[in-house]
Amino acid sequence: MNRFNVKRIPASWDGAALRRFSRSTAAMLLCVVVAGYLALGVASSGSFFEGPSVRVFLQYLATPILIGLAQMVALCVGQLNLAVGALGGFTACLMGVLMADHGVPAGLAVIVGLLTATAIGLVTGLVIVATQINGFIVTLATMTILLGAQYRLTGTRTVDGYSPTLRDLGTAAPLNIPLVFVTALAAAALLAAFMYRTVAGRRLLAAGGNPLAARLSGISTDRQIVAAHTLSGLLIGVAAVTATASLPGVNRSVGGDWLLPSFAAPIIGGVALTGGSIAVFGTVLAAFVTRLIDAARAQFSLDPSWVNLLIGLVVLGTVAGGRLHQTRLGKTGGTAAPPAEGGKQPPAVLPQPGGAR
Amino acid sequence: MSTVLLECHDLVKVFPGVRALDGVGLRLTSGTVHALLGENGAGKSTLIKVLTGVHSPDGGGLTWCGEPVHLRSPLEATRTGIGVVHQERNLIPGFSVAENITLQKPPSHRGLVDREAMTAPALACLAELGVDLDPHQPVRELSVAQQQLVETAKALYTESRVLLLDEPTASLSPQETERLFEVIRRLAARGACVVFVSHKLEEVFAVCDTVTVLRDGKSVLEAAPLADHTHDDIVGLMVGRAHAATEMRPRTVDRTATPTLVLDKVSTAGGHRDISLEVRPGEIVGLYGLVGAGRSELVKAVLGLDRITGGEVRVHGRPARISSPRQALHKFGIGYVTENRKEEGVFLEQPIVRNITVTVWKRLARALGFVSAREERDVAQDHVERLGIRVAGLGQNAGELSGGNQQKVSLAKWLAADTRLLVIDEPTVGVDVRTKHAFHELIWDLARDGLPILLISSDLAEMVTLADRIVVMTDHHVRGEVDNDRDYDRMSGRVIRLIHDRADSSADSADAKAVSG
Repeated sequence: MNRFNVKRIPASWDGAALRRFSRSTAAMLLCVVVAGYLALGVASSGSFFEGPSVRVFLQYLATPILIGLAQMVALCVGQLNLAVGALGGFTACLMGVLMADHGVPAGLAVIVGLLTATAIGLVTGLVIVATQINGFIVTLATMTILLGAQYRLTGTRTVDGYSPTLRDLGTAAPLNIPLVFVTALAAAALLAAFMYRTVAGRRLLAAGGNPLAARLSGISTDRQIVAAHTLSGLLIGVAAVTATASLPGVNRSVGGDWLLPSFAAPIIGGVALTGGSIAVFGTVLAAFVTRLIDAARAQFSLDPSWVNLLIGLVVLGTVAGGRLHQTRLGKTGGTAAPPAEGGKQPPAVLPQPGGAR
Repeated sequence: MSTVLLECHDLVKVFPGVRALDGVGLRLTSGTVHALLGENGAGKSTLIKVLTGVHSPDGGGLTWCGEPVHLRSPLEATRTGIGVVHQERNLIPGFSVAENITLQKPPSHRGLVDREAMTAPALACLAELGVDLDPHQPVRELSVAQQQLVETAKALYTESRVLLLDEPTASLSPQETERLFEVIRRLAARGACVVFVSHKLEEVFAVCDTVTVLRDGKSVLEAAPLADHTHDDIVGLMVGRAHAATEMRPRTVDRTATPTLVLDKVSTAGGHRDISLEVRPGEIVGLYGLVGAGRSELVKAVLGLDRITGGEVRVHGRPARISSPRQALHKFGIGYVTENRKEEGVFLEQPIVRNITVTVWKRLARALGFVSAREERDVAQDHVERLGIRVAGLGQNAGELSGGNQQKVSLAKWLAADTRLLVIDEPTVGVDVRTKHAFHELIWDLARDGLPILLISSDLAEMVTLADRIVVMTDHHVRGEVDNDRDYDRMSGRVIRLIHDRADSSADSADAKAVSG
């Protein structure tokens, strides 16, 4: 059936993958991470390359990675999750209280924590779908509720003295690589495999990229929203476990400073706020970048206000840089298509049943 | 007495990697209706953009009434006297008719917009077009045809002497089209030059005097009298070779077979009443009507996107209650090629391979829901070849494809899913002649292989080419059904009568059997 002048497709379209990577946000971030790390190392006359410094650096990288991924999953279906910090804090406190006050074994407490966070994500998603209320508003509400619950659990005290086993695991670092960091990386790897290769992950991306087309292609967008919030909840649960394991104790302030970094990592990593895109590697690297800034502050006792300024500039800079890069690629031709003469659309006067959400 | 208003010569416009215009000449004379023709990619849109000041040319020049002009912005083009009605509506829905017409130069009084003073000039423009509209009515309450007339009035208000109409009839009924033609002729008689851009050659021959044909960025026919050319000449010039009339292989429909889809007096929450129609295996049933007649909405209700409030849907002979497109696909094997390919048909930011396999991931899934990349690529490759989709690679994003190729991708996903009933909604809106023929052959051959097809189209010529029966819908009601004998003139007569004589459908019963009670 060669009636359309079939053009043979090059057999190895994978060959372009490397070239595409070299132009991607991830490649740029990788350079930033390497350069930044080297600069810090040199500036600290080498002490930053030593074992303990590396360990501390990676120890506190686990949570930013995990909460960034949790937010990324919500962004992927075009949702925002404002309850990232509150859910993480609540889960951490729940596990702490269970272990310290009720003598629940660490393993059980961790399982209960993970299940609770997942269940809360599931309920959030169900509420969004059932009420058709914007996810921003629903997660704003769950955030407030969870903050209240967290306060109720711990009050003003700091819960500590819970399971030494968990604490040991939390601070364990074979080869100077902390277990919590390995956990975060493993979660990222599993998430990447899930998102890129499984049917369920692709459905999330499809529903986020074009909800109408997804629906008409036989994908339930409602289910994808529920699935994304559930998965987001699970990742927050993992973040809460790593935080509980590596912190000296949990109190009502845990999770309080998670929300904005959870947005910063995916956005710097190249995830579109409009949904339909993910960047697992980019998000991990972006978490690295923000952690580098933080480490520089600790190393050189910088004023915290400068650190916030820097992170803000990095967010703006990478996003603007990415935009600029795209425009330049478009201008110099390359793979960019010429302005299409086609693409004429019948005017969209038809009411769209279902609508985008 | 006729003067040359706008002339351009040797226009060149270069975009990265492509010479969109490569020596285009155009001469627009007052008092004429000028057809601007060409396939997609021939340079029509670029030329329009140059003429309206959106792009500045990289070579060649323009003269206005004999004087060289440089149009550096759309505003300058408007001031010069060049108006354009784009295919996409550029009206502000919440503003009134008068406010929209006078938007570019609102009558003002000490810096405050004078609403009362708008009415008179707006009415004058509407009267000039011979249109009766309430200037205070918000534009969102108007029909598509009326909105188009408001846009035309808007161009008149800025005293355009050259008026470019880009695919103006794409969403108009035959009657509305005829009325628009009257308006076009009146404007030309008053000394304007109307440039008519269309893919529908029947209309071009009905209304235009002169013609310019573009191919690959060059003008292959320049301001020639249309009367000197035949339909086939023009198509030949557009595609660059003598156009062979499409030879469809014979196809027969077994009218005794059990219909794959039956709608029996179906009513919906969207306002459809007592809709009945049947589609049999191997049959192409046309659902003809105007934009807003409720055809796509009917299909979406059947797919479970809107509530069905009465009657019965039967699929494969059994009553079917379809609650979602998901169920429609997986349980009943129904595919829907949507009319809005960009909004509803493809995932622009995702690779072609996923756009095609989205319907079959479940089938390709292995342990733990992992999709085999190789199998997925094989499926996509098969369909890319089968439909002749022009791609740089399967990993290319669908958004980088041309409109026609996106449409093919949007169709490919249903073929990949082996659907047993296909609904195809306006498959060739805005695609060029060659692709259109290819699509027609493809749809025809799918039916020939036994696939039942419900074809929605506002293009009567397309209906007459493809459909076995044409079901006519207006205003959410089926007005009747015509057996297609492939004679365009006779068919269009019957269809138009069905649309008009809704009260008197029995008078035409020799030609058409009325379906609705």
